[in-house]
Amino acid sequence: MKKDFAYFCFCVIAFMTVSSVVPAFAQEKAVSAPAVSTQPQATIPQATTEPKEFVVYSDKNAKGNHYIPSGWMGDYSDIKLNDQSLVNPHSGTTCIEFVYSAKKSQAQGWAGVYWQNPANNWGSKKGGFDLTGMTKLTFWARGAKGQEIIQKFIVGGIKGTYPDSASVEAGPIELSDTWKQYTINLAGKDLSYINGGFGWTTTADLNTGGATFYLDDIKFEADPAMKPESRKSENMPFYIYADKGSIKNHFIPSGWMGDYGDIKYDGASKEDPYLGDSCIKIIYSGKATQGARWAGIYWQNPANNWGTADAGYDLAHATKVTFWARGEKGQERIEEFKVGGIMGEYSDSDTAGIGPVVLNKEWTQYTIDLKGKDMSYVIGGFCWATNIDVNPEGATFYLDEIKYE
Amino acid sequence: MKLSMNKKPVLASRFTLQASPGPRPVACGVRRAACGVLIAFFCLGMACRPMPKAYIHKLKNGHYQLIVERKPYIIKGVCYNPIPIGQNHEYDWCSDSSRPWIVDGKLMQEMGVNTIRLYQPCPNTENVKTVIRDFYQRYGIRTIMGHWLGFWEYPCPFYGDKAFQEKVKKEVLEMVNLYKDEPGILFWTLGNENNYSCLGLVNPWSSDEIDKETNPQKQKVMRAKIYYSFVNDLARAIHKIDPNHPVALGNGELIGLEVAAKVCPDIDLVACIIYRGKTFGNLFKSLQATFDRPIALTEFGADSYDAYLKKEDQNMQAFFLESQWRQIYENLANNKKGAGNCLGGTIFEWTDEWWKYNEFDPAGWMVHNTEAGWSSGSYYFDIKAKDNKNMNEEWFGIVALSEELENGLNKRIPKKSYYLIREFWKNPRLDKNKKKGVKSK
Repeated sequence: MKKDFAYFCFCVIAFMTVSSVVPAFAQEKAVSAPAVSTQPQATIPQATTEPKEFVVYSDKNAKGNHYIPSGWMGDYSDIKLNDQSLVNPHSGTTCIEFVYSAKKSQAQGWAGVYWQNPANNWGSKKGGFDLTGMTKLTFWARGAKGQEIIQKFIVGGIKGTYPDSASVEAGPIELSDTWKQYTINLAGKDLSYINGGFGWTTTADLNTGGATFYLDDIKFEADPAMKPESRKSENMPFYIYADKGSIKNHFIPSGWMGDYGDIKYDGASKEDPYLGDSCIKIIYSGKATQGARWAGIYWQNPANNWGTADAGYDLAHATKVTFWARGEKGQERIEEFKVGGIMGEYSDSDTAGIGPVVLNKEWTQYTIDLKGKDMSYVIGGFCWATNIDVNPEGATFYLDEIKYE
Repeated sequence: MKLSMNKKPVLASRFTLQASPGPRPVACGVRRAACGVLIAFFCLGMACRPMPKAYIHKLKNGHYQLIVERKPYIIKGVCYNPIPIGQNHEYDWCSDSSRPWIVDGKLMQEMGVNTIRLYQPCPNTENVKTVIRDFYQRYGIRTIMGHWLGFWEYPCPFYGDKAFQEKVKKEVLEMVNLYKDEPGILFWTLGNENNYSCLGLVNPWSSDEIDKETNPQKQKVMRAKIYYSFVNDLARAIHKIDPNHPVALGNGELIGLEVAAKVCPDIDLVACIIYRGKTFGNLFKSLQATFDRPIALTEFGADSYDAYLKKEDQNMQAFFLESQWRQIYENLANNKKGAGNCLGGTIFEWTDEWWKYNEFDPAGWMVHNTEAGWSSGSYYFDIKAKDNKNMNEEWFGIVALSEELENGLNKRIPKKSYYLIREFWKNPRLDKNKKKGVKSK
């Protein structure tokens, strides 16, 4: 199969590019930040015994703090930070308050913050810490109201000239209105160089009215009881898309291929959803904007992962993928619906698909059979592709309830 | 029951005592009579049928082996199409007076190659026989002989047309009749990636019956059924005239094999064309679940040009090839870790081919073109090349060609892959980099 790959940023966590849009606030804060080592390749201060912990934040201006929350990403204008909030801290006198407005000020639909060393270091400087010996990162979090959803909490993952030696994510996490401790397992990870000490991202879809949440007591710990986490096999059903902003959703529709300029994607269409309050509406214009004469979208984990990141889900329990689809007029032809099939340094463990499919005007359920398939490692959760030859006038179609079962 | 290399197997002789060079009955009284009965019994039960020279053996554990001259045979091969610099695919290299296969055969032997794959015989029958014999008699290298099954015929291969089928069948059976008694023949391969035409993407074809069907998915299945039924018909006909060699179904990826499973009982093995970078993924187990036949990887490999950095990178090619061979070995019979259905493979390819970027431009055939022709994320080192085009068709050889001539041939310069695979074959190590996520470069 000879395909062009279009690394089109749909819902991008493009760490490299956002470094230029870090707001002045963060930069000012970085400059005035106290007690932060900017020595190249900082290391944990040596003591007579092995250090037990390495603090990111305990209280405002605490001596033991490390890293700066300087890496503001996505809709950075939607974020307000107060790192000396007095509103019910978990311990000490202060905690961190984030207010995310979800206004999509930069038209990204998502936002997040990285704690870096030194401030604003997107991998261009050698400033990470050697955290070898630490086995977990713990933090306390609560929402102002409860039910605020953080798409993911992150340790490491900054790339660039001096990339982090590990990248670990946890989420999505739905916060409650009381303090709760969360743990990110780092056992077995190479923590010899960590510049992005901590971070979070979330989306406007997951928090339509915005979210106010609090963090406190963020620290790395050396806990010998922690064991390397084996990849867990996900329970079924495992949704790609249930509804706009649903916490059940997995994978990001970020892999726009071929004539990506011909595609319009609406993940919150209210036009007669099959189930729930929303469905996916896709308009393919068939204009061959990039000259490829075909187009398609891959749902990936994480966004834009063409096999470059080790982040596949274990969906070995799945025996099929089902989804509902309809065409706006009927007779729209999709050449292929597919799962898996991304090949790269980290490849999907298998692939399966159906097609060509001529859509009906009415909602119709389709099934991709996974019997005999090895779905133990899936980066490309779902995909569709079509072309101008079979849709000379373009095609508008709808998808809903996409899930592994 | 061992057949002499040059002994022509005679079908009728399978049922005669003379066909078996095994111990003869002792001439004494009752024992003689008993032996006679026993022999008659075995002969009626076809126990005296000479063993085919090459056949597929299914083990008790469900694994498969290719048996050649009564010994398990791992295909350690290369695809062979030695087009010299300045020529294109129409060049009849079998008629080359410089006899490239003599030089190549020696290099292959030194590497450990035991098999070459030819896509289709050259036009001159005697020259083809010479090539097969030279490879086998001089170097012990056997030949997988293929046939395109009219895949490239203009305007398209009408597999639904009886006249087209008969024409192809006649060609195929002529080929088999011509070469089946060459001791160097290993097996026959029918088609290459012809199954892609059933999807309508490459060399699309149809028929009146297919055109009447409005559901494109059903059209695809109809085409596949027609094509694979035809291939099975060929396999059955080949078995009738040549019981000594297996017949392989050439197939791009595993696409369409769920249909083949229903209509191809006479196919002995699948000869797959696979370009998946460092891993074949679930290929072997997936085949097992779809169409329980052994598999030979008859086209796989990597190019040796980094389209992103715009420079030759033999390390990159060697990395992919070693990883691919490791997985081939993991899936051979009696390896606990694998599926046990792999018979080996033929690397694409032996020498670089300088004509491939633009087959219609004779001037281009003199240039080792560095433009990539297509994209594959599986070969990820140079995927960041412009438009993600990273596959350099002219750089797939494990032996480079020099413009310098040596005895009338472009001088052969083995690449790093040549040496690396040579060492792997000598001492196959299957545990290297087995840890998931190990950086490869």
